Amino acid sequence: MELSQRDRLSELVEELTTSGQPQLHQDRMKEVKKICRVSNDCIEHVYHSLMSQLNQEHAEVRLSAFQIATELFSRSHHFRTLLVDNFQELLELTVETDSEQPLPPPKEVARKLRSLAIQTIQSWQASYGSAYKKLALGYHFLKQVKKVDFQDAEARTVAERRREEERQRKMERIYKERVEAASKDMEESCQEIEATLTEMESCMSLLLPGFDRTDMQTTNHSPPSSQAANACPSADEQPCCSRDLKDNRRGGMIQEEEETKERKHEESREGKERKEVEDREGEKEEEEGSSEEEEGGPPGGDVFIRSSGLVSHSYSLDLDLRPGVHVKETEDNEAVVSTVIDLHRLIITKHLPAVQGWVQVFTRSGAEQQLLRRALELKRCLEAALQKHKELHIDYRTRVRRVMKASADGEEDDDDDDEDDDDDFDEVPEKEGYEPHIPEHLRAEYGLDPAPSTSTAPPPATSPAAAPLPSSSSSSSSRRLKRLIEEEQDPTCAAATLRRLRQSLPPPPESSSSSRSGSDQKAAGAPVVPFGLDLYYWGQEQPNAGKIIKSASQHQFWVPIDVDEERENKELQAESRSRYISFPGSFTPVSHHCRAPVGWGKLCQRQDRLKCPFHGPIVPRDQEGRPCRQEDRLREEQEERRRREEQPDWRDAELMRDIEAATGEDLGSDRVGKKGKGKKKKKYPNLSDLKQSANTSRSRLEKKVFNKSAMRRVAEVQGKDDRRKHDKFSNQFNYALN
Amino acid sequence: MLGFLTARQAGLDDPLRLRRAESTRRVLSLKLNPDRDVDRIHGNGINTIDIEAIEGRYMLSGGADGVIVVYDLENYSGQLQYTCKAVCTVGRSSKYVHKFSVETVQWYPYDTGMFVSSSFDKTMKVWDTETLKPAEVFQFEGNVYSHHLSPIARKHSLIAVGTKEPKIQLCDLKSGSRIHVLQGHRAEVLSVRWSPRYEHILATASADSKVKVWDVRRASGCLFTLDQHNGDKSKASSEAVNTAHDGRVNGLCFTGDGLYLLTTGTDDRMRLWNSATGENTLVNYGKVCNESRKRLQFTVSRGCSPEFVFVPCGSSVAVYGLHTGELVTMLRGHYNNVDCCEFHPDYQELYSGGKDCNILAWVPVIRASDVEEETKSANQLQVSREIGYWQFDRPKGFLASGSGSET
Repeated sequence: MELSQRDRLSELVEELTTSGQPQLHQDRMKEVKKICRVSNDCIEHVYHSLMSQLNQEHAEVRLSAFQIATELFSRSHHFRTLLVDNFQELLELTVETDSEQPLPPPKEVARKLRSLAIQTIQSWQASYGSAYKKLALGYHFLKQVKKVDFQDAEARTVAERRREEERQRKMERIYKERVEAASKDMEESCQEIEATLTEMESCMSLLLPGFDRTDMQTTNHSPPSSQAANACPSADEQPCCSRDLKDNRRGGMIQEEEETKERKHEESREGKERKEVEDREGEKEEEEGSSEEEEGGPPGGDVFIRSSGLVSHSYSLDLDLRPGVHVKETEDNEAVVSTVIDLHRLIITKHLPAVQGWVQVFTRSGAEQQLLRRALELKRCLEAALQKHKELHIDYRTRVRRVMKASADGEEDDDDDDEDDDDDFDEVPEKEGYEPHIPEHLRAEYGLDPAPSTSTAPPPATSPAAAPLPSSSSSSSSRRLKRLIEEEQDPTCAAATLRRLRQSLPPPPESSSSSRSGSDQKAAGAPVVPFGLDLYYWGQEQPNAGKIIKSASQHQFWVPIDVDEERENKELQAESRSRYISFPGSFTPVSHHCRAPVGWGKLCQRQDRLKCPFHGPIVPRDQEGRPCRQEDRLREEQEERRRREEQPDWRDAELMRDIEAATGEDLGSDRVGKKGKGKKKKKYPNLSDLKQSANTSRSRLEKKVFNKSAMRRVAEVQGKDDRRKHDKFSNQFNYALN
Repeated sequence: MLGFLTARQAGLDDPLRLRRAESTRRVLSLKLNPDRDVDRIHGNGINTIDIEAIEGRYMLSGGADGVIVVYDLENYSGQLQYTCKAVCTVGRSSKYVHKFSVETVQWYPYDTGMFVSSSFDKTMKVWDTETLKPAEVFQFEGNVYSHHLSPIARKHSLIAVGTKEPKIQLCDLKSGSRIHVLQGHRAEVLSVRWSPRYEHILATASADSKVKVWDVRRASGCLFTLDQHNGDKSKASSEAVNTAHDGRVNGLCFTGDGLYLLTTGTDDRMRLWNSATGENTLVNYGKVCNESRKRLQFTVSRGCSPEFVFVPCGSSVAVYGLHTGELVTMLRGHYNNVDCCEFHPDYQELYSGGKDCNILAWVPVIRASDVEEETKSANQLQVSREIGYWQFDRPKGFLASGSGSET
């Protein structure tokens, strides 16, 4: 066999086995076969390289190698002889006959390899079993000793099957327990559910008779999506969305401010009424809008929007008029509605999940039909109730606000100014609190534009809640403030949008500071200094500052020689009169770069003040990164020389690897290589990384904690402690002993 | 071959010469042969096999499930393909069957009408082959690891039994009683073998790493204990004095002429000893994998000019040159550990049994005709087989008497 063929074969086998693919690369496989056809030597070579690949601790490599072996097995007698000769090893490596040599990870591939190997061996046995004795023996060994069931699609061994059975038994037990718990649970809460259902039923029948009185309306249902689509025709025509809305408008409309202020209060109500009309009529809306724009807007900037729900009069609005049942709560039915809401919530949050859980448990465990039927019946009832509730179109979002309003400023709003716009919304389950952050992917669901900066106020911007703005002076300010805060928290309110707009705009420069008095301003600018002794005795002579008083000895006759009852301490005295104020100076950012050459003609871009952690002290350098000064250049050269000496050229990584390959001894080439390159490149990028799975928080911690140097350091410290104790106290018996 | 034949015809050569040359060649060409099968009767590992010496026709095998099977090895069908039939079986359904694993089986050396088996159920049974009923049952206090009947004894009919107790029991077939106890070991006795040369010489191997050689006529103690360092105290640590191995010694085998003794131990070594002096011949066989906790049954070829050792080594049978220690070949065919192997001296065939429930027959490869093209290979094979018969049947009686003169 020629050397080139040999090399090519090795290369091909390596490529094929390290591809990490579940199937072999056809063209390469063809080439392998073509070369193998040349001579038996080639086949032997392939066989040996395949065996070595089969020995790799990687299931993907083994799988591919086994696939190649399968391809060749059916073609070459010589290969068959070779492989069958070493059939034990093949079985060990592919079928896991030796329990001490489990198949390597990844697990999925290992399982696949196993079942493939078992199937293949069966087919081999069928076609070649009579001719190759060892193959037959191996087959019988698998069948009779290892009890591999060749019919079993999963190709499991006895142990595996037993494990499976055990698992199943365990699951059964668990299911049984669960079924028992669920049926008990169902027994208990069945009555409650039924009561809830009855209650709901009666509530709804109470609500529905009031249906034809006042509450039924055929209202406009313009889906938010269509409105949103209309609301943003082009960038320059959406003043409400753009940030400079206020500035644009303010200039032009400032003269109208007074009259608007006066009219503000009624207008907000009128506007809404008008809008209702508008919505019903639909066509005139354009003129209306234009007139509105002139009167509305400026003070808050958005009265027009609020009153019409439109931002520009050039919009065309598609209205979808659809009749439907709509229950609108009045004060009469408020109690009923609130009951319905409570019941609805109860069903949604408690009963329905519970019933669904039971159904799941029963179906999964295959429990008695009766239980399952009952659970399904309950579920159906609950769902029917929900459906009915939905058809009623009770709007509790509005209602909640109404309740709040009634408490906060009931005199301001009448029942009449209830808005119909909210009907545009689908009924959504009540939120417990407001959601200041709506995730990006949920924005569409909430009817918001994707980007928060351009979010328009959704239709409820025209809700009455937004009507009282700071300019309106009729009601008490505290209450208003409170309500404002509350509304600002509700993302569906105009107030929230306004707040956002306000935030996004730069704060108005002078208005606030000019209003304050000058002294206030000064006080704000002055630093706050902690109160100290120096301030306490400011401007006075301190009586006993800096004196240390020593109490005279109380002893009867023994007195120390130099009893100085009082001693002056200059330092303390000075301290009580003066105060240190540390002055850190102002931070000046570093403007220079390290500029040491880092290879490939690039310069180090680090901006350290004095010393680069990689290239040492920062010195002036020229275009190519060479130091300008002579001594720096010398120093760098010296360093370079020293580094080279540290690692003599015989420690060249490549050379060492060659030597290692030749002699089979470890000279540490990978260490050297690592030092040189810093990061080792992955050898076979296609194979799945076995170490990846081991990259858990635990393993990472382990790496840190059991790091050799860390261990050594800790041991050193502990040893030092121990030694110190020993050195100091070793002559004392109780320390000497331990 | 032809040269040998002509020389033989001319009467130039000793008949032994041709026979040795040919049997050596045959041993060297042992292979797993698709034409030779042994019935799969055992449902569990096979611990021991024995081929009777009278006709060389019947083979006993004892399994880990207590089953004992007798096979007929002789092929009278005239076909190339032959499956060794099980003639009779002491199966699980028999009421006399051993309860636990059968550790040793042995034919009575002079008659196939009787065989002896010992088991982990603490019994040794002497069976009547015709009725497959035990004629005698010996009870012991511990598991029986090994027993052996002297193959040449004329003056006694003693069975040496190695059990879990450190004492070696001698049972007399004549009286049916345990007549003697040999004391000296400190741990269970894993293997016992009678010398094929002197009928009163017995070798025993124990888990205390010692191998002792006894003369059963001497009551006081053993003749000597084999020492791996040949008495060189400097090499041996104090506790390793007089040990044959550094682990349990679980295999014993005399060479055919009884001049040498082979031992194997769990230190993965095999040692060859001079059985007369107890001297370690220091033949280096390299590593002989041996993890067995029980007796390991291995064997030596007979009638070849350099003799060979067949020793189970993991899942294969290793063939070593006896005196050179050179690994000749590995017979790979079992799929699990091999526990026993037995050499058929007449046909130079090897039978091996292992934990994979198989008994494999290793048969010499028929030499391809180096004369002209023979078209009918089957015909030619038949011829060579007949030659084989002719060659080896005739000098059989001669073999027993010739073994002495050979040395």
